[in-house]
Amino acid sequence: MRVPGRGLLTGLAVTWRAMTRRSVTQHYPEVAPDLPPRSRGVIALQEENCTSCMLCARECPAWCISIDSHQEVEPATTEGGRDRSHSVLDSFDIDFSLCMYCSICIEVCPFDALHWSPEFEYAETDIRDLTHGRDRLREWMWTVPPPQPLDPHAVDPKELDAARKAAEADDASGTGP
Amino acid sequence: MTDADVPGAREVVVGVGAGAAGFDHERGGGGPGSSIATTDMVLNVGPQHPATHGVLRLRLTLDGERVVACEPIVGYMHRGVEKLFEVRDYRQIIVLANRHDWLSAFSSELGVVMAVEHMLGMEVPERAVWLRTMLAELNRVLNHLMFLGSYPLEIGAITPMFYAFRERETIQEVMEEVSGGRMHYMFNRVGGLKEDVPAGWTGRVRAAVAAVRSRMPQIEDLVLGNEIFRARTRGIGYLSPELVHAYGVSGPIARASGVDLDLRRDEPYLAYGTLADEGVLEVVTRTEGDSYARYCCLVDQVRVSLALVDACLAHLEDLPPGPVGVRLPKIVKAPEGSTYVWTENPLGLNGYYLVSRGEKTPWRLKLRSASFNNVAVLPHVLTGCVVADMVAVLGSMFFVVGDIDK
Repeated sequence: MRVPGRGLLTGLAVTWRAMTRRSVTQHYPEVAPDLPPRSRGVIALQEENCTSCMLCARECPAWCISIDSHQEVEPATTEGGRDRSHSVLDSFDIDFSLCMYCSICIEVCPFDALHWSPEFEYAETDIRDLTHGRDRLREWMWTVPPPQPLDPHAVDPKELDAARKAAEADDASGTGP
Repeated sequence: MTDADVPGAREVVVGVGAGAAGFDHERGGGGPGSSIATTDMVLNVGPQHPATHGVLRLRLTLDGERVVACEPIVGYMHRGVEKLFEVRDYRQIIVLANRHDWLSAFSSELGVVMAVEHMLGMEVPERAVWLRTMLAELNRVLNHLMFLGSYPLEIGAITPMFYAFRERETIQEVMEEVSGGRMHYMFNRVGGLKEDVPAGWTGRVRAAVAAVRSRMPQIEDLVLGNEIFRARTRGIGYLSPELVHAYGVSGPIARASGVDLDLRRDEPYLAYGTLADEGVLEVVTRTEGDSYARYCCLVDQVRVSLALVDACLAHLEDLPPGPVGVRLPKIVKAPEGSTYVWTENPLGLNGYYLVSRGEKTPWRLKLRSASFNNVAVLPHVLTGCVVADMVAVLGSMFFVVGDIDK
């Protein structure tokens, strides 16, 4: 036969024990949270890497990236050579009120111009202020953490493989340092 | 006969409300209250109501305190996700798929990618299979902990919420470290996972699982033995196995009514076949079918899921180093045809019926979500309850409104 009120007392014992321990509350504005490097906080732009190829803008499921660019022609440097044209980025805007933080743009970027930064303190009082241009996106670039090393059971990332192959090729041809 | 004719009738009407007739009858009396004519009242609970955690509207017809009819009115959060699927490629679909049930994001993503892999006849690397199994189970723990905290809150106990959220945070941390997201993980890709796990992560998962397991008895002590909780939930909201079958109710709610169906064991996907053979995968069932049994099912499922995570970790240790994904072409196109893939999501059966005409977007992607069926049975469960029990029953159906309305 159960003693009446025993369940309540067991519960109170739990809260009593919890009361004697340190609280687990995070003191957020005073103490910055320790976010892991993969945290998807905000998208940063490394402008030099961007060729304004528009892949990110096209693949974005929310169509929140808008890019403007123009072509600039570089006259041929050698006689009889061809003029070279390349695109120059005019504007690069991400509307974070539409962004779904899915990281597709970062994945499809062929030149690693986009990166995740764990930075998250960019709340605004007006929704229109959530569109950030190239200058703001570039500022975030300096908060991008280096990637974490992978698990020992993982295969090396393809970038590492490519670099190793290039180094080996250099060694073989004797042109390496 | 009017109230004034019967001495004492007035008190009954004021104290219990117009439904005094019904109560008096239950007490076995043909007493004064039993002869009062009553009128049914229609009460709308929701769509914005603190007790419905989401925009679910219930149209209750009340005879005093008794619910005589209940009609769930759904669709306030309909986002047309099936139509949106049709104009998105398979990677973009994952973004949407993890949003309809925001508490089981990983498991829902899994359904989509498994459907596409099935269509392509793609073999997923073993390491990815085990990692997926483990992450799906961590996701299940997260989902269940949410309800383990919110259900007592709904019937008036605020304390368990904090304990549940402390445990959620412990697991959330490892999920965030591996995927970068706290809710919408976006970690599945067709052919495997987005990237491999960071060094030392498996150790942190093991520690998190051990911590949660060691602290789960606290939630049980707080809630399960509590006399008030038992009085509010035992024998309340009985769901019969017949209704479970008739309405396609699934998941822990169905198993609490004694319907022993769990796709992880009955139609194994991922690595669940091996785990079932090893005896780690235990299907939790109850026979009572009341709110208390449903809650107990969740508690026990957390325990089983934590054991599954540990088993997955052990298997991952033994696996040779290998990739976690298949190199994909630039554009993934599912071949012409159709397939149906269903998974045991934390809240029940989650199915994706994928029809492709060989395009990079699906022709049709039908979503069968667990919460829709689980809520459809509510009229039968709620009828006959009193209003005070309505919340106790509603909360114990463990639904996510986004999963109902899609």
